[in-house]
Amino acid sequence: MSDDVVLQATDVVKTFSSRGKKLGNRVVARAVNGVSLEVKRGETLGIVGESGCGKSTLARCLVQLLPVTSGTVTFEGTELTALSRRRLRPYRRKFQLVFQDPYASLNPRRTVGDIVAEPLRINHLGTSSEIDERVRQLFATVGLDAAAINRYPHEFSGGQRQRIGIARSLSVNPTLVIADEPVSALDVSIQAQVLNLMADLQHEFNLTYVFIAHDLGVVRHVSDRVGVMYLGEFVEFGDVESIYSTPLHPYTEALLSVVPELNDTDAPRRERIIITGDVPDPADRPSGCPFHPRCPVATELCAVEKPPLLTIVPGRQVACHYPRNLAAVTATAAPQ
Amino acid sequence: MRDLKVSFATRQGVLRAVDGLSFDVGQKEIVGIVGESGSGKSVAIYSMLGLVREKNVTVTGSVLFEGREILGLSDKELQPIRGGSIGMIFQDPMTALTPVYTVGWQLVEQIRQHLHLSKAAARQRAIELLGQVGIPDPKSRVDRFPHEFSGGMRQRVVIAMALSCNPRLLIADEPTTALDVTTQAQILDLMLKLQDTYDSSIVIITHDMGVIAEMAHRVVVMYAGRPVEIAPELELVRHPRHPYTWGLLDAVPRLDTKNERLHTIRGNAVSPLNLPPGCAFAPRCDYVMEKCAQRPPLEGDAGHVDACWLSDDQRVAIRPTEEQRA
Repeated sequence: MSDDVVLQATDVVKTFSSRGKKLGNRVVARAVNGVSLEVKRGETLGIVGESGCGKSTLARCLVQLLPVTSGTVTFEGTELTALSRRRLRPYRRKFQLVFQDPYASLNPRRTVGDIVAEPLRINHLGTSSEIDERVRQLFATVGLDAAAINRYPHEFSGGQRQRIGIARSLSVNPTLVIADEPVSALDVSIQAQVLNLMADLQHEFNLTYVFIAHDLGVVRHVSDRVGVMYLGEFVEFGDVESIYSTPLHPYTEALLSVVPELNDTDAPRRERIIITGDVPDPADRPSGCPFHPRCPVATELCAVEKPPLLTIVPGRQVACHYPRNLAAVTATAAPQ
Repeated sequence: MRDLKVSFATRQGVLRAVDGLSFDVGQKEIVGIVGESGSGKSVAIYSMLGLVREKNVTVTGSVLFEGREILGLSDKELQPIRGGSIGMIFQDPMTALTPVYTVGWQLVEQIRQHLHLSKAAARQRAIELLGQVGIPDPKSRVDRFPHEFSGGMRQRVVIAMALSCNPRLLIADEPTTALDVTTQAQILDLMLKLQDTYDSSIVIITHDMGVIAEMAHRVVVMYAGRPVEIAPELELVRHPRHPYTWGLLDAVPRLDTKNERLHTIRGNAVSPLNLPPGCAFAPRCDYVMEKCAQRPPLEGDAGHVDACWLSDDQRVAIRPTEEQRA
């Protein structure tokens, strides 16, 4: 199985320090606090969490846009975190990012053809006529008219811009695409178009995705496995169907319960669990379990002792002293 | 609201942002207006309150608030209505609050604008309101600045401000779009509780069908400045009639079932600069017919109207409801 793993992160920590309110006082925020994960070839790993949980910082650490504070990131057997910037360069084109904001991530002064061609030119992948041909191909692949290559980003709608961003990331034939909230800025009908396109491209080019989003419906739709992040850590990890039907962590359970749903069937809906308060400041982490100040089932133990991320059944991990739905989860795993 | 039309004269021609919108809001009723960006849902509401101040705007139609025509009133006449009998909650709580004054100062100013209260009494009322919207320790929080609050807490302050003068109608424009889902749940819950205490009606504008389903009693679906379907909430999600509503409902990735492919609406939203003469949705509609070159009227049973030329039989054939399938 191990050669199936495209990307492996072990105990990744990323801290940011800033000046505190008092003179000479440094404040250290642990944005990513010891994350380990494995991404398997051809799968989509979803990472879900609310704003400020560290999911975007994690994405940037995985692709080496941010240096990790500690921990390792290994891509197809090469430890990226051990490489110098120069030695890292040939690897960079194997993993590409798709960004959230299709307005900010495209240079307004360059034509969209230029934007898509740039990674090819940087990596010297072909003569200029070969690159031209490749750009036309890429436009067709993402469903845009190749005649549009001389236009500028402002002439395109949000959905079309996101297609351009996707074409740019695919231009260098990456193995792994890390998409950071790729559809959250789009209207729902356009969002569906882009999600379908990403699914088609995954099949066509055998891509591996890490898909980061805050929308639980979107994450469920695209992912094979899901990690739920809270305050820089995974609190739950597992197969998407299993997590969505029987969440183990109280935070996952609450998240799923408050997603507004259409009551278009008579099926009883989940009981809403409204958790109070806000996500704590990562520079001022609570003791014990990071979720305990807001957790509906927390006890004194949770304030003192931090629960480790434990494997409950194969493929299901949770960091909680009092997992929910435990009986249901172990029952489904037993027959295997 | 009757036949509201809002257009802007631009260099490229007349931009019809709202093109004939009519609906009623009953006592204590929550009406949801849903549509994608550019569908005219916000412009309709802002122009009704005289908040669209562009020189090139033309607003026609009629808006009666408690029997009184408010369209075309002067700023002075509108002042007791805006923020008084009609409260407003905006999408982005950071821009709705000024960063240079404390929230208490802003609340007191708002209250004294509309109610004859002394400074001390207004401050007392401000503290009460902050407590009501669930801000812990309101006595000390009242003297804090907006940046000292989290997004959810700021939206609570905006809600407190909207409620400060006992409005009979609350207008909420994407009140939870900028918030996380757990915070969204807190805010929606709070709005429902307060609506009950204050006996006010609510118009909630959103692009999120889920939020509509959670909150609204009745729903107006807008496309390209026109209402395409108006129905009670449960009726709309279970028996939607307009192809655009079908598309909106089916494009949302769901929590309970996983489809391999999402339903999409092809193409992009039409430009309000050159709306087709007939049905505005026709260029993107999978079921477009010759007749669609003419604009379909908004008609149907009293409670459930839609603007589409498809016959009942055609609709059953295309998208049978669960009962019809049975």
